[in-house]
Amino acid sequence: MKKLQLVDIVVIIVIGIVFGVIMKFWDDLYSVVKPMLPTLRQLIYGMWFMVGPFAALLIRKPGAALLASLAGASLSAIVGNGFEVLMYGFIQGLGAELVFLAFRYRKYSIAVAGLAGIMSCAGGFLLDLSYGYADLEAWALIVKYGLRVISAFIFTGIFAYYIVQALEKTKVTSLIRPIDDSEIEQLKQ
Amino acid sequence: MSTTTALSVTKLRAKYSGEKQLVFNDLTLAIPQGQKLLLLGPSGCGKSTLLQIMSGIVPDAVQMPLHSEHITKPSNWGFVFQDPDTQFCMSYVDEELAFVLENLRIPREQMELLMNEVLNQVQLKLPALHTPIAELSQGMKQRLALAAVLLLKPDVVFLDEPSALLDPEGKLQIWQAIRRTLSNHTVIVVEHHINGILEWFDRVVVFNRQGDIIADDQPKVVFEQHKPFLMQEGIWYPNIWEEHFQALPNSAIAPLLDGVDHRPTLLELENFSIERGGFRLHVDYAAAKQSDWITIIGRNGAGKSTLLYALARLLNSNGSYRILGAEATDDIPDSISYVFQNPELQFIADRIIDEVTHSLQVKHASIEGEATTDQAPESRANHWLHRLLKPKRKNKTAPKEQLIAEASQALEQLHLNVPYERHPYELSIGQKRRLSVLTALVEKRSIILLDEPTFGQDARSTFVMLEWLARLQAAGITIIMVTHDEQIVRRFSTQVWEIDQQMLTVTSRKR
Amino acid sequence: MNNVLNWFTPSYQTWLHRCNPSLKFLILFAIMLFVFFSRALELYIGYIVCLSILLWSSCGFPIRKIALLHIPILFSSLSSGISLTLFGRGNDVLWQWWIIKISSESIHSGILIGTKSLLIGIIGLLLLLTSPPVKLLYSFMQQLRFPAKYAYAFLAGLRLVPFMIEEVQLRRRALRIRRVQRPTGITAVYTTIKLYSIPLIAQAIRRAHRIGIAMVAKQFNQQRTYYYITGFSWHDAAFVIFALACTFVTMLFTAL
Ligand SMILES: Nc1ncnc2c1ncn2[C@@H]1O[C@H](COP(=O)(O)OP(=O)(O)OP(=O)(O)O)[C@@H](O)[C@H]1O
Ligand SMILES: Nc1ncnc2c1ncn2[C@@H]1O[C@H](COP(=O)(O)OP(=O)(O)OP(=O)(O)O)[C@@H](O)[C@H]1O
Ligand SMILES: [Mg+2]
Ligand SMILES: [Mg+2]
Repeated sequence: MKKLQLVDIVVIIVIGIVFGVIMKFWDDLYSVVKPMLPTLRQLIYGMWFMVGPFAALLIRKPGAALLASLAGASLSAIVGNGFEVLMYGFIQGLGAELVFLAFRYRKYSIAVAGLAGIMSCAGGFLLDLSYGYADLEAWALIVKYGLRVISAFIFTGIFAYYIVQALEKTKVTSLIRPIDDSEIEQLKQ
Repeated sequence: MSTTTALSVTKLRAKYSGEKQLVFNDLTLAIPQGQKLLLLGPSGCGKSTLLQIMSGIVPDAVQMPLHSEHITKPSNWGFVFQDPDTQFCMSYVDEELAFVLENLRIPREQMELLMNEVLNQVQLKLPALHTPIAELSQGMKQRLALAAVLLLKPDVVFLDEPSALLDPEGKLQIWQAIRRTLSNHTVIVVEHHINGILEWFDRVVVFNRQGDIIADDQPKVVFEQHKPFLMQEGIWYPNIWEEHFQALPNSAIAPLLDGVDHRPTLLELENFSIERGGFRLHVDYAAAKQSDWITIIGRNGAGKSTLLYALARLLNSNGSYRILGAEATDDIPDSISYVFQNPELQFIADRIIDEVTHSLQVKHASIEGEATTDQAPESRANHWLHRLLKPKRKNKTAPKEQLIAEASQALEQLHLNVPYERHPYELSIGQKRRLSVLTALVEKRSIILLDEPTFGQDARSTFVMLEWLARLQAAGITIIMVTHDEQIVRRFSTQVWEIDQQMLTVTSRKR
Repeated sequence: MNNVLNWFTPSYQTWLHRCNPSLKFLILFAIMLFVFFSRALELYIGYIVCLSILLWSSCGFPIRKIALLHIPILFSSLSSGISLTLFGRGNDVLWQWWIIKISSESIHSGILIGTKSLLIGIIGLLLLLTSPPVKLLYSFMQQLRFPAKYAYAFLAGLRLVPFMIEEVQLRRRALRIRRVQRPTGITAVYTTIKLYSIPLIAQAIRRAHRIGIAMVAKQFNQQRTYYYITGFSWHDAAFVIFALACTFVTMLFTAL
């Protein structure tokens, strides 16, 4: 298993910060949508789960999802989205990280990325419980978090996945992904 | 000289991930402590890659398939990278230098003194220590990079073309600083232009295009005995200009200008001025005629790039700027091609070949457009809805295969023999430079603006580029070029625009 | 971008700015945690009053700006509160229409969550307005032994933000110089987004990668001295006393 090097850390944190900036704008959008479309707004909630799986898909090393998620949350915190996002960032990143760990950092498919998003969502739900966001009628609870899960899948499984694919075409990924051992083996002959 | 080895590689094999071609195939090189070593080789042969491998940047920070029987790396080293834009980790001059001092655990109280001292050494004069690095010119950045390395006080120093972007005086100063401060160090240098620095080196290693060593000896011996190799690989050696251009009669390089000048004026500046941050530049009068070859010279930070930016309408200006007789608008004039100083800024595509075919396509489209403009005078006032519904304009004239054939031929001519589906960023700096210049050369617009097109080039590529430009000039195209190369100024220019003290002075040159 | 950054520069420095950022962070974070996991309206109100006094009196910003910064916080806490009131759990139904059901319990939890959001927002604002992120990170490294590689990576990332905005401009320049036509037709918006966003993300990653290499090449060392030094002063004692007093008053208020 390849460990995170200094360079990886910089790249991951920068990804986190880029997403943090995007999330800042998203947050404003969310606040506007919030009172207008009480349930459908959940559909754009997946944005907050995107950063961790995105980083993992891109870097393909242990720790990427968690670190990126934390970095994104830290940025949100310092641009004034409240302190509690630090906890959310941590637990959501952890959720995503666990999924990639479960697949031993070998599989990076749409399904795995989507599942990572859903686990982030689950992590967030735990915090929502203690915060009080979940004191809802049973049906409202199911609709709210059901939609959120769908959104999580769309943002992480589909958007993150396809953005990473587009990035692969620009060849940046070859800078940061671990190289294939087979290529080194070939050189030895 | 001591015999302990400072660094070495044995039977090194390396390639870039995903590539078939090896950059090095069983390369062996040992460098004793205290040696001053100069690496020479054609652009793209792997010099920068080798420095990164020997320092340990590969594989510590850069991924690359690599294998060697043995490798000795220095524990304490400094590196000046080839690209001045990519070697800073902070955004202010003082923070950047402080970063080095922090790593060395120098107490805070001593920091400012050391910073001022080292900036003096590299002759980087700044209004304040806390200056944003983004506001330095390219040459100033190169000086700052060297300053950071000097602060590091390493045993082994890698210098990858440390003076490529410096003005002539700056080159002298930098090399004086290098000699003064690094006399006891092991120093490994890559540099294309070797005039005036040769005698400092103990040893010169020459690579061929495949990355194999073809000569390895004292400078004197290399330049006397291996000259055929150097000529064959297109590597700079003293007097190469004279030898290369004595073969060509002057008229083949530039059209002879008779006594009276009938050429039309293409570009005219009058009472023209630019402001950028605290920087100002003023031009009383300057004009470029058809087939002019204008070189813009001046110190680092004089404002050459700034002037070029304004000519391409990337920066606002005051006063009169007429182009083909008409006052320039805010948009980039149709008649201008442009080459950025930093080649990476030029690139818009994901593949090398697409960069060139795009330019060719634009050229064909504009030729076609010229033919049809008479019939379509309403094109300016088209409603957004109209634009939205309008089908994409198809390019009838140029089939894809023809464009690709044309593009590969052009790439070949500028010695870009690499897989064409590679990303433009996956090239050596010299190759990037050539690709970016090429995108403008093939457009064949009436004026071409180039910001230091020949930096980082080996002799062969420089001459090809210059000859290409001379052909364009002979065909009536006006060339306006920023350069620090006195040879180009002397041999090619019809006018010299010198920027000094925020003023532009024009000197005509008769040949 | 610089305008945005300047916006968060205080008009004058107060004792709060001179407090040690780590200490401030830890205390405020502890209060936040305490609040986060508790459900007592009186507690929230107590803290809101105390911290607001501190914020409005000594954060170094003009009143108008502070008020302006409260708008998103108020907005967001209001909407959280309202939606919980409308859809919240509860048996003592007061009013019902279609899917909306207001009960005395749901009103209670709505108010509770609205106030909690407001309080957490104010805590965040208090830190944000009195400790610039760069100082905060330097202090983390010096006082909390926060690993330098993460801190410097984060600093590098923060510094890249203005560059990302510059990068949009550079990209626009390149597209102009190379005469890439503005996309037209139905897919114009999508094409434009693609023309900019993917290269911009790629460029951010490239820049990050190069910064990483530059850090390695400058012999990055976890054990280091610091150019920007942060330490403690009597202001810190004042802050600790204030926080304790604040908590004491609030607890007293809650107990009543
Ligand atoms: N990221 C990359 N991926 C694939 N190939 C690369 C990459 N970077 C460089 N190359 C190729 O490796 C070879 C060596 O590049 P390198 O930068 O070491 O050349 P160089 O000798 O320093 O040239 P120059 O004088 O132009 O700087 C070149 O042919 C280049 O095209
Ligand atoms: N983005 C910027 N904002 C403000 N000032 C700038 C900016 N870029 C450059 N400058 C300043 O403008 C002046 C001219 O810079 P310019 O890049 O045109 O120099 P140059 O002549 O091209 O130098 P070089 O030969 O080193 O490339 C310099 O003093 C520089 O500090
Ligand atoms: Mg090189
Ligand atoms: Mg310049």
